[in-house]
Amino acid sequence: MTTPTERNDLGYNDIHEDVVRSIVKTGPKYYIALATAGSVTLLCFFFPWFYQLYYGIGAAGMNHPGVWGTYLSSFIFWIGLSHSGTLLSCVLHLTNSSWRKAMYRSAEAMTLFSLVVAATYVMVHVGRPWFIHWALPYPNQMELWPNFRSPLLFDVMAIATYITGSTIFIYMGSIPDFAAVRDRTSGWRNTMYTLLSLGWRGTDKEWHRLHWAYTFLAVLIIPLAVSVHSIVSWDFAMSIVPALHQTIFAPYFVVGAIYSGTAGIVTVMFVLRKTMGFEQYITKLHFDNLGKLLLVLSLIWTYINAVELFTGWYSGSSEEYEALGYKLFGFYAPLYWEMILFCAVAPLLMFSTRFRTSFVPMLILSIAINIGMYTERFLIIATSLSRQYLPDAWGVYVPSLVEISIMVGSFALFTTLFLVFVKIFPSVSMYEVKETMATPKIEPLAPASGSPA
Amino acid sequence: MTNNVVGLFHDPESALTAAGELKGAGFESLEIMSPVPIHGVEKVLGKKKSVIKNFTFTGALIGGMSGFALAAGTAVLYPHPVGGRPIITMPPFLIISYELTILFGILATVLGFIVSSRLPAFRNRVYVPEAAVDKFVVTAPCDDAEHYQRAKAILNAAGAEQVRKIRGDDL
Repeated sequence: MTTPTERNDLGYNDIHEDVVRSIVKTGPKYYIALATAGSVTLLCFFFPWFYQLYYGIGAAGMNHPGVWGTYLSSFIFWIGLSHSGTLLSCVLHLTNSSWRKAMYRSAEAMTLFSLVVAATYVMVHVGRPWFIHWALPYPNQMELWPNFRSPLLFDVMAIATYITGSTIFIYMGSIPDFAAVRDRTSGWRNTMYTLLSLGWRGTDKEWHRLHWAYTFLAVLIIPLAVSVHSIVSWDFAMSIVPALHQTIFAPYFVVGAIYSGTAGIVTVMFVLRKTMGFEQYITKLHFDNLGKLLLVLSLIWTYINAVELFTGWYSGSSEEYEALGYKLFGFYAPLYWEMILFCAVAPLLMFSTRFRTSFVPMLILSIAINIGMYTERFLIIATSLSRQYLPDAWGVYVPSLVEISIMVGSFALFTTLFLVFVKIFPSVSMYEVKETMATPKIEPLAPASGSPA
Repeated sequence: MTNNVVGLFHDPESALTAAGELKGAGFESLEIMSPVPIHGVEKVLGKKKSVIKNFTFTGALIGGMSGFALAAGTAVLYPHPVGGRPIITMPPFLIISYELTILFGILATVLGFIVSSRLPAFRNRVYVPEAAVDKFVVTAPCDDAEHYQRAKAILNAAGAEQVRKIRGDDL
């Protein structure tokens, strides 16, 4: 078993202190970051959204034929980003990988908050969010029911289940840590943790029940996560638009989602490590392992992209040719080649161990991968809708200022939620990091100071 | 209001030994509190069975059926024929059914956890805050002074670094 900590002399008490400190001690930098993220969210996300609600959906640049735009591609991006946290955590839990333990809590938080941002994007995208309940099956005076044959309804079901599942999963895993923090805090924090910990005492029975409940949840969530992004891909693949109507889409989306999610974890780990003082817990080992995973995913992703191009070409139909040529050499071609550079070529650097274990290069690469993956989602929508069958229906979609601003704001929204998270949840799982350490040794009574050991 | 004897240990092995000896000496309702799950508790305190799996299975089953019933039922309530295809279409309805299987399975697992672990606890119970940090704690209810002395001796012999008495009215 690999040791997740760089210093082997860390004791149970050290990790306890470090994590409680990360919650209780808050410096001015944190407040500055929170205030900045919060105001950018208001200014760039909520303000343009309210403007759009007031003015109408015309404030967004979507029009025929580009009836889907950055709202939808951002939605896919955020859903995709959510895919690594909980999924990776479940897989690593079931395979007993001990290196998961220091990082999984924040990875799961990433899942949860990307899902929240994605769900908010649905509200932005639908234009009239006050009618969002129409998507839910409830008895009404018109005796109408939602069309359960539509992938959009699969989406509603899948995403609702996924948000519920990831919330429960992160909460269940945190109960023992809430209890541990409960004993060290006072005031409103104590009240909050007392409620959150449900009166956990860490008895043998409680550990046993938690273990089984957690394992069952992990088993349930893995197929769920895979289904969520497959379903998102069917939103497109079930249409008859050239370049969208492809069988490869479900695995393409799932792999892309895990790929961008893993890159997101690398980014978040880097930031947590630097800002929260978790250098001892999040180590080179984690970056090395995540790097290997990213490398494999990038190869699969590249392969699927090649398959997509090949099937388009092999179909021999003129509309597929047109869509293909437009994607590679048309209006959006610079974006396409940027995506190939960031997601297929640059990740090859991770063949080198030295690269995988260097923090800053990994950070830069992980951000580049996510820029590439955002581009991928944008291109899937923009290039296909621009070239559908008849040339008189062709057109170009360019996002409006409102759309661009909301896209920027969504990152601030995510950051704000994450900043709130690190002060409420113990962002490193204490009990599982303790599990990987040697059990406490009896210290010699009254060590003689100064004398040679 | 029962009184309890509580022994704090440095390491899980001696806590387990102590628990085994207390059990051997006739003490009942032993509990081991620990900051991490310890392996080998079952050998000492007996095998545990968890009912959670039954909850998960039942929940998933109900979820799957109700998912299909929801999709098929609403399709029948408002029939909308498309190109002469069946009203109850299997592939899409199975997807709805799949998602609800998982949703209900998850919710039932949580319910099973809450029921079987007796959480949330609305009453005061024996607790030692050190058990959440780095101590392994063995507790047993013991009412009279003689019992307490006997338990204390066993705990000390097993290497307890501290033995406390938690009185019922302190809780």
